[in-house]
Amino acid sequence: MATWGMAFDLRRCIGCNACAVACKQENTLPYGVFFTKTLTETVGTYPNVSKVYIPTICNHCEDPPCERVCPTGATYVRPDGIVMVEAKDCIGCGTCVVACPYDTRTVLHKHHVQDGLFGGGYKTPFEQQGMDRFVEGTTVKCTFCHERVDGGLQPACVATCPTEARVFGDLDDPDSVLNRLIRERKGRQPLPEKNTNPRVFYIE
Amino acid sequence: MMPLNVGLVGNEFRVGYRLQSEWSWSMATAFFCGEVGAGLFFISYLAGLKSGLLVGLLMVAVGKASGHLIHLGRPSNAWRAVRNVRKSWVSRGLAAIAVFTATASLVLADAYLPGIAPRPLIAVAGAVAMLAALVIMVYQGLAMSHSPSLALWSNGLMPVTSFTYAMLGGVFIALVLGWNELPADRLEVMQVFAAGLVLLGLVVVVSLLHAAKYGPEAGQRSADLLLGSDLKGWFFPLVIVVGFIVTGLLLLFGTGQQLYITVAAVTELAGYYAFRILMFKAATYDPILTFGRHTRRR
Repeated sequence: MATWGMAFDLRRCIGCNACAVACKQENTLPYGVFFTKTLTETVGTYPNVSKVYIPTICNHCEDPPCERVCPTGATYVRPDGIVMVEAKDCIGCGTCVVACPYDTRTVLHKHHVQDGLFGGGYKTPFEQQGMDRFVEGTTVKCTFCHERVDGGLQPACVATCPTEARVFGDLDDPDSVLNRLIRERKGRQPLPEKNTNPRVFYIE
Repeated sequence: MMPLNVGLVGNEFRVGYRLQSEWSWSMATAFFCGEVGAGLFFISYLAGLKSGLLVGLLMVAVGKASGHLIHLGRPSNAWRAVRNVRKSWVSRGLAAIAVFTATASLVLADAYLPGIAPRPLIAVAGAVAMLAALVIMVYQGLAMSHSPSLALWSNGLMPVTSFTYAMLGGVFIALVLGWNELPADRLEVMQVFAAGLVLLGLVVVVSLLHAAKYGPEAGQRSADLLLGSDLKGWFFPLVIVVGFIVTGLLLLFGTGQQLYITVAAVTELAGYYAFRILMFKAATYDPILTFGRHTRRR
């Protein structure tokens, strides 16, 4: 069985956030909720200034602190490494949100689920078809588009990226594009000192 | 090393240190009621103070429970939180609260209605209630330090501060409640114990901040918030001055005087509640990745 992982090639990322838009569209995410973002950092001092774009996502860690602290067992790890949240078991305590070093989880409050994009409780047809899956008061996060992956497709953010800065693949396959990229370009994990062993790598 | 050009950010798409915002006043109240209530029950059991047993039980069963239920996204499913005792300190704490509530109720019932249950059963219930109270006093600190995400919390001293504050709150409330009930020699011992705990608490809080200030960057950022910038106006006056220094002085000069002890209890509890809220407000996440220019370590 595959163990899924992802790599971000920071030389290719142009900070367009098409990945964030694709993710919102694929998952019908409420206003203000993001499963993935591309952060910007300005480096250098005037006049030698440049911008670096750093995509972020749930790292689907090998030793996820969110799974360890969850009091109900709602957060669990699939055999293929994808970290999931079972909404019917989640009580919205937020312990997993606090425990995640990467700030990639969100508790859905009333306004997220009920207000709709234009507010006042009106939901567009697009929101109506997609937001029923969300349970108010539970935690949501990136699932590597597990339904797409189970069907042999790539996650929406990977499929959309115009520069192919996002690479998705099997970490257990040494010949996969992902593994070769990590090996050859010396990919590094975010915040390795937290000992979560993320399955997402950054290639500089 | 602290990156020069990386500051505090909110929800904008920028690299930076982010403040913890998921746990706030309702959780702080739950933590406060749980620890102080358990500490009060613990001290009252040892001192033989019936009213302390009652107030302690109510603080845990009602105060702590209310704070948590207000915070939860799905309070109707709160019972599920006891399902992961194998790994989660939150689960273990809830199990301890359930055991404590049941056994402490039995102990309390016997205290007010002697002979309501066989003596061996009451003795066992008392021992179990004390053990559960001990767990309640420390588990919140262990839950906070269990994850590496927030450097201010991910510290071995966090459970020690929980325990120390629990005992402090417990002994002060027990002194107030038991002033006219307990014998004078027991009150004297409790006042000496309280003075020792005030000193210990001050050392523990200072050590916690020291560890944050000279630890990971996010911890340094948190310490800076508490001691040098946005939260300085709250932390130093409330937690250190009111919570420890004023309390200590009142104990020193007011030994044996009910008014001084009562005021000292109020100042200590105010200092502890402020500490809880400020620990939540100042907790900071490290930036996920940064290419910023670095300074020397402070």
